[in-house]
Amino acid sequence: MIAVFKNLYDYRELMAVLAWKNITLRYKQAYLGIAWALVKPLMLMLIFTLVKSFVGIDSGNIPYPLLTFAALMPWIFFQESASEGVNSVVGNANLIKKIYFPREIFPLTAVITKLVELGIGFFILAGLMIWYRFVPGIYILWVPLIILYTILAALSIAFVGAAFNVYYRDVATALPVLLSLLMYASPVIYPLQLVKDKLLVQQAAGEWSNLLYTLYTLNPMAGIIDSFQSVVLRNAPPDLNAMIPGAIMIAILLPLSYLYFKRAENYFADVI
Amino acid sequence: MSIIEVNHLTKEYRLGAVHGLKEILLNTGARLIGKKKVPERPLFKALDDVSFSIEQGEVVGIIGHNGAGKSTLLKMLSKISTPTRGTVKIEGRIAPLIEVGAGFVPDLTGRENVYLNGAILGMPRHEIDRKFDEIVDFAEMEEFIDTPVKRYSTGMQVKLAFSVATSIESEILIVDEVLAVGDVAFQRKCIGRMETLINTQGRTVLLVGHNIRQLERICSRMLLMKHGRLECDGEPGKVSKLFLDDTTLKPEHGSLDLSLQPTINTGDIEVISIEVVTDEHVDGTPVCKLFDNLHIQVRINVLIPQKNAEITIGLHTPEMTFLTKSNTAALGHAVNLDKGIHTLNITIDHLPLCPGTFGIGLAIHNWMRHPLWMGNRLSWIMIESQPDITQKLPPGTMTYLPTHWAINAEQPEPTAP
Repeated sequence: MIAVFKNLYDYRELMAVLAWKNITLRYKQAYLGIAWALVKPLMLMLIFTLVKSFVGIDSGNIPYPLLTFAALMPWIFFQESASEGVNSVVGNANLIKKIYFPREIFPLTAVITKLVELGIGFFILAGLMIWYRFVPGIYILWVPLIILYTILAALSIAFVGAAFNVYYRDVATALPVLLSLLMYASPVIYPLQLVKDKLLVQQAAGEWSNLLYTLYTLNPMAGIIDSFQSVVLRNAPPDLNAMIPGAIMIAILLPLSYLYFKRAENYFADVI
Repeated sequence: MSIIEVNHLTKEYRLGAVHGLKEILLNTGARLIGKKKVPERPLFKALDDVSFSIEQGEVVGIIGHNGAGKSTLLKMLSKISTPTRGTVKIEGRIAPLIEVGAGFVPDLTGRENVYLNGAILGMPRHEIDRKFDEIVDFAEMEEFIDTPVKRYSTGMQVKLAFSVATSIESEILIVDEVLAVGDVAFQRKCIGRMETLINTQGRTVLLVGHNIRQLERICSRMLLMKHGRLECDGEPGKVSKLFLDDTTLKPEHGSLDLSLQPTINTGDIEVISIEVVTDEHVDGTPVCKLFDNLHIQVRINVLIPQKNAEITIGLHTPEMTFLTKSNTAALGHAVNLDKGIHTLNITIDHLPLCPGTFGIGLAIHNWMRHPLWMGNRLSWIMIESQPDITQKLPPGTMTYLPTHWAINAEQPEPTAP
């Protein structure tokens, strides 16, 4: 375990350079440059706000655009980290076949790249908060931890997906579909409070309600999005009950995913 | 203490494509109910029980035909691929130069690529900072360093990449076919740099290539690979000779084409045959000795009469370096070829060639000295080794000119009282 981190520490410069390369390349010949990173969350926010105006989603005392933007930030970070991570090994086939360094650098670099884009998202979030006159409280200090947790969740998918993708490219094709399904199963468009009310308070599914709620929160993104909104907008601590099932899930999946990746990496150069 | 130790290294690949999901499911299903599996794809041994060790400071060339396992071996050494069986032990940092410029990104500038490539090869940033000027200077790229690499010529890319890769402070340097690129001046510079690395810094270098003569010059030892096996390991002259003999003695195996395939043929003249007139043959290749007179008989069929033509004949090495050329200008009068078949008898006196295999090239030009027919590798001659002369010659030469030696002790200078 310690060896894993030491190894990664040794390669920190390489990861930084590769992430810098990814970002420079993506925006090199584009006039808008890195501003493109903001287009996706902003567009989705506008669409959701439009939808909300005739569907009616109760967003409590927080303006809906702000609430959904705060959900989109961790969601898009997770979604893009996972899919970039899955594609990272096959996408770097030329390096894999010619030079050796620990292969987990590729998924990790993909995540770091997305971290930079997430950072830019914070400027927009700050702008929205000023516009709606929201003052964050002390609980905002939770944000780094929540992001770290999101990284672990994304890596659980990225490692196993990237390794599998070397053998079967189906993974890279199927993943966007699965991830967009997962978005509807995560409190992105609607707040988690709605699910909680329906299942825990109103017991809408009868005796199955509590179990269903646990199942729902097995999705780590449910806890992540809700707590991100809490610490940034509601000035409240994260709802740990909503986080625990997902956290257990990640605690099991991440080591398995990493081990599978390390086992498979020996054959990347032969198969890719 | 060996710096590289390879023990019984074997690498097997499965032939054909990766199984589809269907076969995998069938296989798993069959295994579950205890039946025989769907037949597996056949194995191919890219490396077969290879063992050797390399000491610090050795410069080792790895040669062999295409597909002999050279690149697979390098991949194992640089940890890119894992062996099926056997072990590779390496002490120290290794700088893999497998194809220079792996990881060059076309959209980035030369400067950015130097940093990227340096990081990929494992150089810390402060080390690149320190060496940046030297790298750019060696590659002769000051002017273009802030231009995207996609606008570079291939030669420029290789120069920059070579320069980056050789500035890594690693104990072991692996170079795959790199010296084959770049212009002659830069090639010489590269070799110079390699020699500095080897001689002054005591680095261990592994070179793979097809330019046998060049490898022979820099290496202190050579490995010959054949069908995944280590065929020979030893002194460069001996190994490269074995390789060249092996290549040239078996023209039917394809490496050397014996047919009269011209590179230029306008159709004005047809070359019927080129023959070395000698009684001795080994496996169909005519054999001569050092200082023999070489007789070559060429038969041509002139379809369109040529006034004042010029015919050139030459001898070259398998790597296409011409050792001698001669043409009909030596006759001192114009050569007019009438319609019909002509026989040319050419004699080269006292052939000064050392043991090895040499090819014959022929060219026919018209009065304007435009080529009508031109071809190389048309026929091969083998120069036999003779115990009395050639075996005493130092290795690494293709020609021998009679040389006379005299060593006389001079009167020693009187020492000062």
